[in-house]
Amino acid sequence: MHEDMRALLNAYLDGELHGWRLLEVQNHLTSCESCRNELRELRAVSDLLRAAPLPEFTPAERFAANLALRLPRRPLKAQLQRGPSLTWWLAPLALMGLWFFVQTLIWLTTVLSLALSGGLLGESFSWISGSAAQSNLFAFLMNLFGGHLGTATQSTLSLLDRLVLFGNSLINQWFWQAIVALLYWLWMAVWWLRTRGRAFLPRLARA
Amino acid sequence: MALVKTVDTELGLIEQAQQGDRNAFGELVRRHYESVVHVVYRMCGEVQLAEDAAQEAFLRAWINLPSFEPRANLRNWLYRIAVNAALDVLRRKSETFVEDEETLMVSDQMPGPEETLIRKEQVELLQRALRNLPEASRSVLVLREYGELSYQEIASVLDIPIGTVMSRLNYARNRLREVLQSHAQEMENAHA
Ligand SMILES: [Zn+2]
Repeated sequence: MHEDMRALLNAYLDGELHGWRLLEVQNHLTSCESCRNELRELRAVSDLLRAAPLPEFTPAERFAANLALRLPRRPLKAQLQRGPSLTWWLAPLALMGLWFFVQTLIWLTTVLSLALSGGLLGESFSWISGSAAQSNLFAFLMNLFGGHLGTATQSTLSLLDRLVLFGNSLINQWFWQAIVALLYWLWMAVWWLRTRGRAFLPRLARA
Repeated sequence: MALVKTVDTELGLIEQAQQGDRNAFGELVRRHYESVVHVVYRMCGEVQLAEDAAQEAFLRAWINLPSFEPRANLRNWLYRIAVNAALDVLRRKSETFVEDEETLMVSDQMPGPEETLIRKEQVELLQRALRNLPEASRSVLVLREYGELSYQEIASVLDIPIGTVMSRLNYARNRLREVLQSHAQEMENAHA
């Protein structure tokens, strides 16, 4: 108990104790003479330290003037150390939003086209599939040669055509995803150069 | 009201200086020079060394100012730089020559009442003992006694846990207390 309190005497002296700890030390001090003596001696040390006179220093005005002559041009890299601006930080957020938008779109069209080809949505939605389910080329060919082909061949060709359309749309989707990812990576690369690269670039320059 | 205004203009000066405005930086130097040079003087104990360290500190501050968060406490940030600059200046100096303890000890002894003389002796004794403390505990004690920082501020200036601040301060003040005690013992023996 006494040793615990001794360790807190400096904090007590500096006004750094609060609440129950402060009360504890105060209580202990009323009953422990050795701690009271030690506190008095510590206070004497503090007072004697603060009583030490200060010599004359160069006046602030002259010091600042002398210093101004020695200030180097601030290196450019130091000016870059400021944190990136808000738009800078929002860029990946916008990109991620875009990413989610594209993903949702892909998901919706996939579900929709599956539902349509399965006939789940019924006749009322057939107008959507009208343009989406066959290419112009297919419609053109069917108009020209449709009469000469059997129904089985027609439906096989139609299925093939739908597959090609689906593939095309997938490639389109991948293209957009790749663009978004590329932009994001670009952002990451620039961010890295602006933070980590700072410590890295001067070394390269010196080498 | 007046305080808010001071803080405001200081913030403006910091932001201008961060953009490279030398006049704004000069104004910040004039404002903080005194507290910085006092703290480094207590670290070094010599006017010339202290002014060298202060100059070094402000030069470093100028170079690193763009990375300073303008709303943080500039004085404490300067203290952090200044304490390190003082230690560097001292290390450089101790490489060139060894401090002459005698010249520091025998200073002008003005005749006066005995009590004042003893107190003056004690003050000088403690300044010497302070300079002989290990760097780590000396920095904490100087920031506490002369920088008048709270334990929390000292912890953040020196980048150490608050528990370490307390233990270093305990060590430093107890060490000085012992110096004072053994000095008193010597005086008694001399009189006996
Ligand atoms: Zn006790």
